[in-house]
Amino acid sequence: MSNIISIVLTIAGALTWGLLLGGISRTVTARIHGRMGPRVTQNFIDMWKLFKKKSSIHHGGMFWMAPMFRITGAICVLLMVPLVIGNSITYNMSFAGDVFLVIYIMFFGCLGMALGAGNSGHPYAVIAVSRGLAQMSSYELSFSIAVVAIAVGLKTFRIEGIVEAQQAGILSWNIFRFPFASAGALIAFLPMQMAYPFGIVLAPQEIPIGPPTEYSSRFLSFMFSGRALFGTAKLILFVSLLFGGASNWLSLLVKTFLLYMYPVVVSSVFPRFRTEQSIRFLWFVPTSLALVDLIRVML
Amino acid sequence: MIDKTRKELEIRFPLLKVVREMHNYLHIKVEKASAMDAIVMAKTSLGFKTLQLISSVDRIEDEVFQMTWILENYSSKTVLLISADYPRENCIVPSLSDIWPAASAFEREIFEMFGISFPGNPREGEDFLLEGWKDIPPMRKDFLTEEYSMKLYGERQPREHLDPRQYIGDIVGEWNTPMGKKRKEEK
Amino acid sequence: MYCNQRPEKPGAKKEMLKKINNMARANSLWVTAYGTGCGAIELRPLGTSRFDMERFGIAMRPTPRQADVLIISGYLATKTLKRVIRVYEQIQDPKYIIALGSCTINGGMYFDSYNTLNMLDKYLPVDVYVMGCMPRPEAVIDGFSLLMQKIKDGRAQGWKHYKENLDYYRENQMKIITDWDLPDYNW
Repeated sequence: MSNIISIVLTIAGALTWGLLLGGISRTVTARIHGRMGPRVTQNFIDMWKLFKKKSSIHHGGMFWMAPMFRITGAICVLLMVPLVIGNSITYNMSFAGDVFLVIYIMFFGCLGMALGAGNSGHPYAVIAVSRGLAQMSSYELSFSIAVVAIAVGLKTFRIEGIVEAQQAGILSWNIFRFPFASAGALIAFLPMQMAYPFGIVLAPQEIPIGPPTEYSSRFLSFMFSGRALFGTAKLILFVSLLFGGASNWLSLLVKTFLLYMYPVVVSSVFPRFRTEQSIRFLWFVPTSLALVDLIRVML
Repeated sequence: MIDKTRKELEIRFPLLKVVREMHNYLHIKVEKASAMDAIVMAKTSLGFKTLQLISSVDRIEDEVFQMTWILENYSSKTVLLISADYPRENCIVPSLSDIWPAASAFEREIFEMFGISFPGNPREGEDFLLEGWKDIPPMRKDFLTEEYSMKLYGERQPREHLDPRQYIGDIVGEWNTPMGKKRKEEK
Repeated sequence: MYCNQRPEKPGAKKEMLKKINNMARANSLWVTAYGTGCGAIELRPLGTSRFDMERFGIAMRPTPRQADVLIISGYLATKTLKRVIRVYEQIQDPKYIIALGSCTINGGMYFDSYNTLNMLDKYLPVDVYVMGCMPRPEAVIDGFSLLMQKIKDGRAQGWKHYKENLDYYRENQMKIITDWDLPDYNW
């Protein structure tokens, strides 16, 4: 029973934190541009308005299921990563080898959205989906190599184990023990959050808004909540893998906030790459950085 | 420079009439049979390689359509306008789409708006500016546009017209300018 | 319910839920980024730093499926009306229309044109009119505030009027669009 309560609380908390972070990022981007931004709670108001629309259109079975895939992927990642060390509420469901399962489920979530967008039949959505999957194949490679390098270096394949190995002070964080792999993973973090210069999936000037083109009202509110959940899940995963996890709730919130500001600040000053430029960059630069660490660990 | 152009054209087309001539601008009027020859000569030997516009004026009193072709010479920055009159009934004008492919767009517009036919235009008859138009071509002078609009889109309420000088003068009060004082004395 | 019972007002809980819904709808209006006429140029400065519209929660969305508001900016030609009907019917309920300029009220400057309609209210249900030719960005923001106030009071029911009187609107639309090939209702 307490397990179920802790799961529900985890999901609700992650959703709230994700939407709040989205609102903060919009405000920060606006202040960088020199204007007053929206309220910090603007994303909650948007979601409530979308949920309360009086009619909605759907295009078939896969269209219904695509936001569900995304939310499922996000919830699985959330439940496998320990949120706060030593707190028994949040060691939800971890087992040996779950670092690979997490990488797989992250891909599975994006794949679900791609299938749903394809079912909507809009040509712009299909173009965006093909671009997005092409880019994903290039950054998943470098991310996986970095994670494998860290896991082999610490001789454990559980995320819990990776987190517990970083508890001996700041200098034992993985970002200082495996600097090249962390650099590769942090560069691969930018296209995961769809931040410029790699934000080619949701390119508002080229293909109107990408995969969620035909999504309206309630489906769009599911899509937004999925995006918020997924974003929070990725943040917590990165904090656990690279920055030593969190030993209490406050440090978890602070660390995820600071890590979230990194793509916001980078994306507000960069324009957007073309598809082939971004794929070329992501195939060579972060992959070679992560490979350096992998070779160093294997020897 | 424009003098030389006019002299060469006068040699070839003796019935030419000059409508207006400035230092870089020449507007001539030719017979309708020699309009095409004048345009081709201007393009090939006089250097006016760019077609700017094909325009048409409905002169209903003389019962002609006056077609004008505007050509430009970018290297010497001069403009040449060639006009010709065509009869108003069953108007047929030769098309320039073989020489300049972009001329077909101008000719399609004139076909829809005036009813002048350009045989040789590859895309004539497709819907361009008007979709589903059933009346006479709307730029002709015998098409009454205000009556058409009131009949189809409904009457609009009349509004009162105020004379600005009197209206503002009533609000602001006396005018302090000499002209205002004189007008006040007249009243 | 018996036939001699007085009508019941909705209870206090339902009233409060309605109020919360209307507040949410008013504080995050999403506009379809479709510039139908000459007023679209006054909408572009609204997103810049000087007349920031994001502080009201207004955002431009590229597709009508994700939007709430359609802005008819200026005169509306019959060609554009055919496309605008399609866009308007793809927006999900509840939806609002803001009409800019005097051409939507009574025809404005183009009242005697064969191409533009004179009174927009006969063809699409309008919630807010903003006067001007074209209204400045500050006037457009004033129009948005009026619309937000109307939504919070529950008076912005243009979409309901359209759904209930669809025959009346269709009859008016088909009278001026002669080549009608739209489906019955664009869900």
